[in-house]
Amino acid sequence: MDLQERVAAVIYRAIDQVNAQLPPADRLEKTRDTVLFGREGGLDSLTLVNLIVTVEGLVEKEFGRAVPLSIAEMLFEPDSPFSSVGALGEYVVLLLEGRGAKSLSKVR
Amino acid sequence: MQQLSALLVSDFNLGNFSRYLEQDSDVPAVACKSAPFGQVISALLNPLIDERRPDFAVIWSSPEHVSPTYARCRDNRDGDLDTILAEVDAFCTAVTKFCLDVDLVFVPSWVPVLEPSGSILLGMRAPLGASLLLLEMNLRLARNLEKISNVYLLDVTRWMGSADGRPRNPKLWYLAKVPFANEVFLAAVRDIKSCLRGFRGGARKLILLDLDDTLWGGLVGDVGWEKLRLGGHDPAGEAYADFQRALRAMTQRGILLGIISKNESAIALEAIDRHPEMVLKQQDFAGWRINREDKARNIIDLVHDLNLGLDAVVFIDDSPVERARVREALPEVLVPEWPADCMLYPRALAELKCFETPAVTAEDTMRTLMYVSERSRAALLDRIGSVDAWLKSLEIRVDVEEVAEGNADRALQILNRTNQMNLATRRLNEMEFKDWRAGRTRRSWCFRVSDRLGDSGIAGLLSIEHVDEVAEIRDWLLSCRVMGRKVEETMLHVAIDYARSVGLREVRAKYEPTAKNAPCLAFLQRAGFPARDGEHTFVWNAEREYPLPEAVACPKAVWRTAGVRAGRDRRT
Repeated sequence: MDLQERVAAVIYRAIDQVNAQLPPADRLEKTRDTVLFGREGGLDSLTLVNLIVTVEGLVEKEFGRAVPLSIAEMLFEPDSPFSSVGALGEYVVLLLEGRGAKSLSKVR
Repeated sequence: MQQLSALLVSDFNLGNFSRYLEQDSDVPAVACKSAPFGQVISALLNPLIDERRPDFAVIWSSPEHVSPTYARCRDNRDGDLDTILAEVDAFCTAVTKFCLDVDLVFVPSWVPVLEPSGSILLGMRAPLGASLLLLEMNLRLARNLEKISNVYLLDVTRWMGSADGRPRNPKLWYLAKVPFANEVFLAAVRDIKSCLRGFRGGARKLILLDLDDTLWGGLVGDVGWEKLRLGGHDPAGEAYADFQRALRAMTQRGILLGIISKNESAIALEAIDRHPEMVLKQQDFAGWRINREDKARNIIDLVHDLNLGLDAVVFIDDSPVERARVREALPEVLVPEWPADCMLYPRALAELKCFETPAVTAEDTMRTLMYVSERSRAALLDRIGSVDAWLKSLEIRVDVEEVAEGNADRALQILNRTNQMNLATRRLNEMEFKDWRAGRTRRSWCFRVSDRLGDSGIAGLLSIEHVDEVAEIRDWLLSCRVMGRKVEETMLHVAIDYARSVGLREVRAKYEPTAKNAPCLAFLQRAGFPARDGEHTFVWNAEREYPLPEAVACPKAVWRTAGVRAGRDRRT
């Protein structure tokens, strides 16, 4: 399993945890295209915070490295890297590869 | 169980807790409303949301919010204990007022919302150690709230322990004002759901246990009782003994124990009697089936003997095969997954969330003893042969008491737990029952049953309401433990004698069928109580007496005092 697949698996585990809080109609689909945040709608703020904080914790457990995702300025910015599940995954991969914030524009 | 409405009051974000509570699949279903964020005192003083009274409320506050002086003391050691306690008292006053409008209130105890900091050396040192102050606050909270019968203080530290060493999540706090990790909220939901089931009579009452490798280590039929692993200087033996101790402690809360084991009965019972480290003795078990038969069949048989329903049962067995068999054959029985390692048994038992009850009565602590007495009665019946002769030999005595402060807990238990001999299956919480009894034309009596073989405690409840010149029986319930001992007839005698004594024309009992109360209908049909309106309304003309059974002594006719004569109030 390559890095991208491992990160996607971690994000899907986080989605499972967050879905346990949500009524069936609001549950997140485990696909790259699932919208998380942006002009065309997305999650309410508490759900987004829960998801990002959960992903952060699980990434640290899986890879043994802390990745700073829950940065307030980033969470609710129009150009947030958390627009979709796919974009979030790409951003986590960048951070794990040590390219981090400098490469943020690539996933926006 | 119907969906319950909850009101959540907090000074921090309870959104995650609220979502877990609503999405949890265990009964009862809950719909939450949250009071405006951070406005605890205002919400406590105005608890009605949408003009609707919630079924229950959770008031989960932080010590920093309730007592600004505590927060200052913790940060700057600036303040004093008296001021902190005065702030706690003010909070409790608001809670007390709130509890007049909400039937059931849970108050989690206080822990700091932020990681405790400061000196560990000085934390517990008087006068201003932060940890010591928090203990003082929680103690004051407990002392103040213990005076209110419908509020329950819940120990948050139990939930904090379930969060893998990280009960607080600073990121959730700073981003969303959620102080605790989600595991803490999940643990809280599990406990509160368990309490809600207990309040509605849904607590499990009987734990059925396997023996080999469950209550002790080893196969007694192979190794003999002398070689069992139980107690002693042996990690596994100590764990089995601790597991037995935890089970025995549960009997003090009214939970019954039974044995379902594939063994030779004589060998297994010898082990129970003779093993010196055996904590549980024969008299700790309400009954057993120790044979080579199918365990599911044995469970049905034993539960029937104990007059309980399968939905009252928890079955604990180390064998995955036996668990799967019982789970498949008897879906009403709770069959928890059970750890393979006996050292985890006490914890697995503690984690079962199905035994909560709002009060422990004297009857609860004697319940197992009552079943042991019942075994003696059955043995006596075998010897004597005739049921009438047996009943007379028992010297049954029924004492009738008006429901009042001293017996209301037990009356409420009977109301909410009894299924079989239950006329209307009316379920009420403490305040609803108290409100109902406060009516001028309503009376409720408890029936305390004893005989020469033992005391069964309060086992029956009768509630009557006058409607015009008719005594309507609202509640007529009898614990299955004393069914068939003429207490049923004694209760009818009391109902009719009461109606006659206050000049009522007739006594009416409307049977409301449920999946479980067919025994009640069968009794009324054979008791000579004429039915009207089809088969379910039973009417007795109060001009005729209903005799007290010969086998029963009922010394004091308390129901004849302070009654409500038809049409006018004689109560003081």
